[in-house]
Amino acid sequence: MASDDALPTLKILLIGPSGAGKSALLMRYCDDEFDPDTAAATIGIDFKIKRLAVRGKPYRLTLFDTAGQERFRTLSTSFYRGAHGVILVYDISNRASFMSMERWFDEAKANTVEDVALYLVGAKLDKASRSREVTQEEGLALAEQHGASFCEASSKTSENVRRPFVEIVNQIVQTPGLLTNATAKRRSGTVVVDSTTNNGYFLPNCAC
Amino acid sequence: MGSISDTLWDVVICGTGLQQSLLALSLSRSGKNILHIDPNDYYGGAEAAFSLQEAESWVDRLATEDKGLFRSASITKPDVAGLSFPRAYSLALAPQLIHARSELLSQLVSSRAYRQVEFLAVGSFYIFKAPLDPAQQPSLVRIPSTREDVFSTTAISAKAKRGLMKFLKFVLDYDSPEQRDAWKPFVDKPLVDFLQEHFKMDAELKAYIIALTLSLDGRISTEDGLSIIYRHLTSMGHFGPGFAALYPKWGGISEIAQVACRAGAVGGAVYMLGAGIKSMATATDEVELELTSGDKVKTKLLVRGDGSVGDEPSISRLVAVVGSPLKSLFESTIEGAPTPCVAVVVLPAGSLTISGVANTFPVYVFAHSSGTGECPNGQSVLYLSTMATSNSKEVLSRALESFFSAVDHDQVPQCLYQLYYEQAAGVKQSRLDQLTLDLPGPSLSLSMDDTLLKHVREAWKKVVGDTVDDAEYMVFTDREPVDDDDFE
Ligand SMILES: Cc1cc2nc3c(=O)[nH]c(=O)nc-3n(C[C@H](O)[C@H](O)[C@H](O)COP(=O)(O)OP(=O)(O)OC[C@H]3O[C@@H](n4cnc5c(N)ncnc54)[C@H](O)[C@@H]3O)c2cc1C
Ligand SMILES: Nc1nc2c(ncn2[C@@H]2O[C@H](COP(=O)(O)OP(=O)(O)OP(=O)(O)O)[C@@H](O)[C@H]2O)c(=O)[nH]1
Ligand SMILES: [Mg+2]
Repeated sequence: MASDDALPTLKILLIGPSGAGKSALLMRYCDDEFDPDTAAATIGIDFKIKRLAVRGKPYRLTLFDTAGQERFRTLSTSFYRGAHGVILVYDISNRASFMSMERWFDEAKANTVEDVALYLVGAKLDKASRSREVTQEEGLALAEQHGASFCEASSKTSENVRRPFVEIVNQIVQTPGLLTNATAKRRSGTVVVDSTTNNGYFLPNCAC
Repeated sequence: MGSISDTLWDVVICGTGLQQSLLALSLSRSGKNILHIDPNDYYGGAEAAFSLQEAESWVDRLATEDKGLFRSASITKPDVAGLSFPRAYSLALAPQLIHARSELLSQLVSSRAYRQVEFLAVGSFYIFKAPLDPAQQPSLVRIPSTREDVFSTTAISAKAKRGLMKFLKFVLDYDSPEQRDAWKPFVDKPLVDFLQEHFKMDAELKAYIIALTLSLDGRISTEDGLSIIYRHLTSMGHFGPGFAALYPKWGGISEIAQVACRAGAVGGAVYMLGAGIKSMATATDEVELELTSGDKVKTKLLVRGDGSVGDEPSISRLVAVVGSPLKSLFESTIEGAPTPCVAVVVLPAGSLTISGVANTFPVYVFAHSSGTGECPNGQSVLYLSTMATSNSKEVLSRALESFFSAVDHDQVPQCLYQLYYEQAAGVKQSRLDQLTLDLPGPSLSLSMDDTLLKHVREAWKKVVGDTVDDAEYMVFTDREPVDDDDFE
């Protein structure tokens, strides 16, 4: 296994209205877990790391959840910084959640770089037969309108859960400059603050 | 999800300035029920960073409502092309430098919040020199920042170099009993007097030293001045060669506040912006608040920032977007040093003439390259600060012009946008009642003032009580999960 530092790191955000199923999608993808009773906003998860190989090349994904800051629309601009891709999630069994996506697209575009990869997910696909309120065509049309890719998925049954992640990574690595720009920029001027050089006193002991 | 009115909150924090945000961070693993609100619809309070659009609405709001510490805000857009779209800018209201040896950095590292902040190097400090002959151009002289620098500089005489080295050696040892005797008599007197009496420094050398203290009135006391220069010298090289201070990319302290708030949210705190306190009623062991959002909430403790005006004088600030990268200011002077994104230029007292009168107080210019993410490539942002006086707005305008003619003699840079405002000093003490705690106002200091951190710590103590050991303050492990592979 290649060491982590050697792998290109991609920052991917999951956003969308409260209750859409963002955390469930993240948990199912990363840990293959689904807990039907976690109705409360997810606590304690900053981001999850997953290594994913696309086209034979491994990447290190850092997947950021909203930490409940979407509830009152208080996601900060700093949350969006350096994102290579944004997965926007709505609930196919909740019309209001779909209607809010226009604003989430706007927010995502306003706070990220121009060629950021966008991916729309209609979550809770298992509820399609009994309580679907948004058709697949509507989802696809909205995604196309915003230059995003699209799929529907169920965290409950695992159907399509891998797809948004694989496809958005594919999209990111195929966008010229998106990965290298963000990564290279970070390197050049950034100061590492968790280790000190301890040798830089103004006046080292000297015989002068 | 429960409504925010059904919960009896352990703490309601009002305001998302640095202190309140750090409090949220410090409590993010405490398991306490926290509601964090801000009357503004943006994070950061007096330390916010604005897009041009946000700056505009901020100025508009200041014109119509009393915003406490800020006044006289105005925006000027000279009639020249070159300004990019509003969101391409992130203008910091409080562009403070953070010294490498700042307690704030240690806390950000121990709390793991630093991982989400990108720190940039603050490079050279320059002194503005008015020409002796008015027909000549003014110039910028780099203040030597390392030993080699002092030796190789041609800007000061050999005698001055010896004086400077002597002083710098003294500072590194200034708190020892022997050295204390030397400066004790000057403790509360201005540092310039001490430099004069004890080191017999000439005016120019004194200006160099005072510039390093970033003292707004130029009259910093000997005790404070020595401690700041000590911090500067010991910070030099701490995180790498050639720089003493750092600046968080994308708007400085604002970024730290946002990252701290996210840590609070990850820990379960609920965030609401655009929600202030409309009214409050105190019962025996809880406070009932009516928020401007219409919600009514109950809490065991309310922590606010004190927004009232304190005794200290105000400052005037001018933020200028410049249509030139000002490259010469951002060259690294030492091999292996990161490319600096911030340079400091000091225009000393007396170096400018406004309507025939010299400026009483120094003007500090923080030049930020596009590497700060605060402006597009090819441009830069200047943050000018000086003590507020009856003509400080003119002083800052003149300082900007003078800076322009000193920084590039061939092609004078163009100003694309200006935001002017005055900021009053807040109160310096925190105030604790049974159920409310008011943190001091924001600092006007141009570098991070670590004394504010102690008030945050006291607030934390008030909330967690004796259940938590003091040594655990802001010490957290990473929340990162164990890695997992998804390889076909
Ligand atoms: C993207 C988005 C845009 C919003 N725009 C506005 C607005 O312009 N004006 C306003 O007053 N409130 C708006 N809200 C809603 C406001 O934040 C709600 O008060 C909050 O979402 C909780 O409402 P509720 O408890 O009644 O949930 P419910 O009514 O149970 O809401 C169910 C779902 O619908 C979403 N929702 C609720 N109201 C709206 C709405 N008006 N527009 C879009 N989605 C909604 C919720 O986020 C949630 O996912 C918006 C919410 C979101 C997520
Ligand atoms: N049937 C079904 N329920 C789901 C699915 N995904 C999520 N849920 C449920 O929907 C609710 C909300 O899911 P979360 O993943 O917590 O939603 P979220 O978007 O993270 O919401 P916040 O944490 O509030 O931001 C939970 O009760 C989940 O169990 C799914 O695919 N199918
Ligand atoms: Mg969640």
